[in-house]
Amino acid sequence: MIYLDNAATTKPDNAALCRAIEFARENFFNPSALYGGGICVQGEIEKARKFLLSRIAGEEFGLIFTSGGTEADNQAVFCGARRGNAVTTAGEHAAVYQSFTELKNRGVKPRFARLNRDGSVDGDDLLSLVDGETGLVSVVHVNNETGAVNDILSLAKRVKEKNPRCLFHSDGVQAFGKIPFRLSKEIDLYSVSAHKIGGLKGTGALFRRKTLALLPLILGGGQEKGLRSGTENVLGILCFAYAAEKKFSSLERDAARLETLKEWIFSALDGQIFTRISPEGGSPYLLTVSARGLRGEILQRLLEARGVIVGTGSACSSKKPFSRVIEACGYEKEVLGGVLRLSFCPETTEEEAHFAAKALNECARELSERVR
Amino acid sequence: MEKVIIIRYAEIHLKGKNRGYFEHVFSVNLERALKGLRHELHRTSGRYLLAKFDESRTDEILSRLSRVFGVHSYSVGLCTGNSMDEIYEAALAVAPAAGTFKVVTHRADKKYSMTSMEISSEIGGRLLKDRKGLKVDVHTPQHTVYLDVRENGTALAFSAFEHGAGGMPVGSSGKGLLLISGGIDSPVAGYLMAKRGMSVEFLHFHSYPYTNDSAKEKVKELAKLLSGYTLTGKLITLNVAHIQEEIHRRCAPELNVTLLRRFMFRLAEKIAEDRSAKCLITGESLGQVASQTIEGITSSNAVVSLPVLRPLIGFDKEEIIGIAKKIGTFETSVLPFEDCCTVFLPEFPATRPKLSFIEEEEGKLDVPALLEEALSSREEFLIS
Repeated sequence: MIYLDNAATTKPDNAALCRAIEFARENFFNPSALYGGGICVQGEIEKARKFLLSRIAGEEFGLIFTSGGTEADNQAVFCGARRGNAVTTAGEHAAVYQSFTELKNRGVKPRFARLNRDGSVDGDDLLSLVDGETGLVSVVHVNNETGAVNDILSLAKRVKEKNPRCLFHSDGVQAFGKIPFRLSKEIDLYSVSAHKIGGLKGTGALFRRKTLALLPLILGGGQEKGLRSGTENVLGILCFAYAAEKKFSSLERDAARLETLKEWIFSALDGQIFTRISPEGGSPYLLTVSARGLRGEILQRLLEARGVIVGTGSACSSKKPFSRVIEACGYEKEVLGGVLRLSFCPETTEEEAHFAAKALNECARELSERVR
Repeated sequence: MEKVIIIRYAEIHLKGKNRGYFEHVFSVNLERALKGLRHELHRTSGRYLLAKFDESRTDEILSRLSRVFGVHSYSVGLCTGNSMDEIYEAALAVAPAAGTFKVVTHRADKKYSMTSMEISSEIGGRLLKDRKGLKVDVHTPQHTVYLDVRENGTALAFSAFEHGAGGMPVGSSGKGLLLISGGIDSPVAGYLMAKRGMSVEFLHFHSYPYTNDSAKEKVKELAKLLSGYTLTGKLITLNVAHIQEEIHRRCAPELNVTLLRRFMFRLAEKIAEDRSAKCLITGESLGQVASQTIEGITSSNAVVSLPVLRPLIGFDKEEIIGIAKKIGTFETSVLPFEDCCTVFLPEFPATRPKLSFIEEEEGKLDVPALLEEALSSREEFLIS
């Protein structure tokens, strides 16, 4: 099987998983317990926290472990936007987008900024939506459907110049451990997820500026300094940190190699059939194309039969057949229906890329022949 | 004194000489529905008594009973000896704590020393005396205590009737093959036929690679939900993707659906013959979509000789949804996975296709070869 849907989830990093299991099996104690075992587990969690923080943030940041990117995004949105209005983009992952939609039921007016054709946000439009009443701005770092990278450092700076009291959040799920960057002083909150970089599903984190008076989303025993109650997911947290160690140790090398691989795949695709959606200079981990006039999910099944797993841009729904995000990029129906997302991991090989590109061309030709 | 469930059957008592057959099927179905749950089932005249069951699982038993066709009503009650003291003890246990009430007695044992009226008045009097919150109201009581003095020296006491699923025992009216799509209507059609006593097997047409396995899983789930009523279930699937491609390639686009349905009916008839089903069942409702006009129905019927039962033909969508919700298939039916109808859907399907035009267009296809190919894609799943 050639797995090219790593933006959906990655295979857990075996070494990281084994190391985490070994620790968690022996040290099964509740991290909140006051006896030696509990303190030992808490210590390992703190090491994990410190490591993850150190990779992208300075000492002014803290980190809350959550049940995943979605929870981190929800906490940022619901605890960040309390009154007035809140601004985000039309290109957000559902975790942010749906939370913003819910804001209007909680007395906060959501505003959605337009996208450029590549899926990045139209910065001027975003800025025009920010005013003195804006409590929160949220901009996805790497668009999970097109791979477009938003310049969040510069956007955050411009937002803060216009309204210094407004909070700035970014969903960094597709960026963390994949593209090089560090959080600047204008960014307040940043969400990440473990299972996109070789960790386990069910673990994520919210980076937060320490001076920020954040509210918890989940109440209970007061874990995570009262900001996220519930006994810590020790296995998930440790596996996250161990997997991140490996990813960050070769982050720039991997990114450079995958950039070449991605461009090679695109050049090998039949230009008569495939249209490129991903921008040049976007995330090296993600290439979105459209087989014009064909249906992405049917192609996906034909590819699966050949052992190549890819993602689609369309939800499996006959009522909502197209991706909301790619539609917001301004593409016509013909392109929207045929969207396929290839996403890579550092383990993706050149041979796999060759095989996949060939299979994509052949399946697309076969399908156009069959539905002719 | 023992906790029992009294099960009364519906139309069976109207049957004449073949009543024994219906009762047999009914009791087999009850046993099947209660499989895996400890119980004893006793037949008494006109009703069944469920005893020796695990009381902590009463709700589960009742929920299963509520889906057995042929059950008119059922009551949870107490079975005791027929002495006045024993009857009173049971009546006290099922009587309400307060409010207005009356006692209704039924006496199968006509040799019993007291009449029904006398028993009611005696037990009612004792209840009034012992339970201060109670008041008698024989016209519009808030509560009724039912007593049933049986012929075998026992008596039953209970305080409520639950409505059963009604209908006839499944299996007493032959076997039909349901064309199940994954939508809202076909499961309801299957339910209604099972309600009239028909055993139902399921046939689903998929269209891989145009449809995915989630659609097939959805149909399996629907068949499983229905098997709560039909008690058995076999699901057969056939792939019609190539038929759709050929129709799309060679025939007038407005006839896409009409022609596909004719293929589906032919295939269904072949499967029905193989499975000894005596009819086809569809979820069609007149005028609901382009293919469900009288012309569309005529064109599909023209290719089969088995009867095609369409129990929903006169139902509105809203009524169908109402039943789907009641029987628990609605939530699964509306899961958004495409069934094979939507992929090659023409923009303007013909609503009143002429049979001569249909046959002319169909003439462009190698019908026997396409049927053969589709039949060779057959898969079978046992649903339980």
